[in-house]
Amino acid sequence: MSKRQVAMVMDLNKCIGCQTCTVACKTLWTRREGMEHMLWNTVNTQPGAGTPHNFEKMGGGFKDGVAQPGIRPTVEDFGKAWEFNHKDVFFGGKSDISLAADGGRHGKGPNWDEDQGGGEFPNSHYFYMPRICNHCTHPACLEACPRKAITKREEDGIVLIDEDRCKGYRFCQEACPYKKIYYNEMEGVSQKCIFCFPRIDEGVTTACSRQCPGRVRFVGYLDDPEGPIWKLVTKWKVALPLHAEYGTEPNVFYVPPLSPPKLDEDGNATDEPRIPTEYLVSLFGDGVHHALETVRREQDKSRRGEPSELMDLLIARKWLDMFGPFQKHPRDAARMRPIPANRQGFKNPLGEKDPLSSDEVMASMAESSEPKASTIRFFSKAEYKNGGRA
Amino acid sequence: MLVTRRIKDVAAFAEPGDAGWARFEPVRIDMIAAPLVMQPTEYIRNSWQGREYGADPGLEVAAVHDGLRWAVRVSWTGVSPGGTDFPDALALALPVRGNPVLMLMGAEDAPIHFLRWQANKPGVKSQLATGIGQSTNSGPELDCSARALARDGRWHVVITRVLGSRGDVAPLEAGGKTGIGFAVWRGGNDERGGIKAFSIDWAELVLDA
Ligand code: SF4
Ligand code: SF4
Repeated sequence: MSKRQVAMVMDLNKCIGCQTCTVACKTLWTRREGMEHMLWNTVNTQPGAGTPHNFEKMGGGFKDGVAQPGIRPTVEDFGKAWEFNHKDVFFGGKSDISLAADGGRHGKGPNWDEDQGGGEFPNSHYFYMPRICNHCTHPACLEACPRKAITKREEDGIVLIDEDRCKGYRFCQEACPYKKIYYNEMEGVSQKCIFCFPRIDEGVTTACSRQCPGRVRFVGYLDDPEGPIWKLVTKWKVALPLHAEYGTEPNVFYVPPLSPPKLDEDGNATDEPRIPTEYLVSLFGDGVHHALETVRREQDKSRRGEPSELMDLLIARKWLDMFGPFQKHPRDAARMRPIPANRQGFKNPLGEKDPLSSDEVMASMAESSEPKASTIRFFSKAEYKNGGRA
Repeated sequence: MLVTRRIKDVAAFAEPGDAGWARFEPVRIDMIAAPLVMQPTEYIRNSWQGREYGADPGLEVAAVHDGLRWAVRVSWTGVSPGGTDFPDALALALPVRGNPVLMLMGAEDAPIHFLRWQANKPGVKSQLATGIGQSTNSGPELDCSARALARDGRWHVVITRVLGSRGDVAPLEAGGKTGIGFAVWRGGNDERGGIKAFSIDWAELVLDA
């Protein structure tokens, strides 16, 4: 176990499924060749098959503390990065051509069952569930690796794969019950969410949490009584781990979603919520009852005009308070260091006055000087190390 | 005992299909599945419990040298179909110094030098091991090559390397004697890492003067 543990809480009542988090992560971390299909952050519609499809049936994790066999998801299970015929459609000069993925022979994408959800009209329901690597306290991936290529950082519990030690045996992929490890065929190594550790090291929160327009994601130390994580997980007990029964002690927690009342045959509201509580229990365990009751109770309090610490927290009126000790602007963190390779030679036309400037924004502006068919370019490892330059 | 006959020139022998190899009677090497208890993690032990792997591949070896270069031809059964997650592979082991135990993959002060061929990559990889799970991705540099041929369900792979020794390159001298070990992975059966067939102990390797 590490000395401290960084953790994330995602409030599922607020996620709008916009995938901004997915794109923030994709553009920041998974642009190397062989990473095309990787989405270290995914957002799927629940009830649904998730990403990789049916990951909950792929084994791994622990039962009574004993490591369980699992299977390796394929690229198709994750959902391949489709190739689109943009060029032909926009510049091909043919009027009868339409947009097609992989020449029309595409399989299921990573988010193929978006917004399908469950239930029968008028009680159809769904909610969005983002997932990243859980940086588990008892990481099945780390324990499975015969190369000791996976480590858990002492100072914050972030779980990382050392690509120089990894030999691509993929036991970690089988062992992780959340199936959050991808395999890079080009480089022969396994890769996964790094909890934006280079940002965390500088006091900057993760890209997915900072970019989230829904204010869904809280970040901080699990044991920090001043921070949002401890308050939501330990004090209020409204944030719960996904599939705690997998035995890895995940460090990403979810506030389960409330839902409008279920309607009876005559269309009248019943006392039951539209999203079946048993379903939520199957994901987040028995703590769901207490969590939903607490959130509802505090919501009512708030409606009556009474103060509620929990509601203030969940509403996240002060955006930066969501990130515990990681509130620094990426730009300010960057200022402390030599100019990174991906910004060398780049001149911000607005200079210091640019209200939008940030590492991410500036890097993307620097790269978008000429229009490209695809917004995301894939780099070789060497180029990547050099900030995207050959 | 594997005797390496001295010939005039090994150049042609770098091809596993070269007719010259027919003149040298291959030696059969017994192999066993690397035992589950030796697998370094509980996950691997549990997930391979009751699953077959490391079946004796009927490994046969012949070797020649010309005073400058050594060529070894290794044949075994187990050509996997294409498109599997892991490649068919062969590693041959030579002790560098200090009497390493082959089964333990060497030790800090007694490293083992591996030359590894795998079906999905050209050439041969030089690796140094100082214990189970302790092999480096880049071993000592040396002039070596590998060529492979799949025929009738059997792999025929010739690995060549220069004679001599330098740093962590395992010593191999004309007129000398050392040990040699082998490991084989069937990729089609998901074999990789410690899930393999291997020769339990060193076979004696003798090079004609
Ligand atoms: S979620 Fe999976 S990959 Fe991430 S730490 Fe846990 S076991 Fe490892
Ligand atoms: S977590 Fe935030 S950024 Fe991600 S899909 Fe939900 S609302 Fe959008």
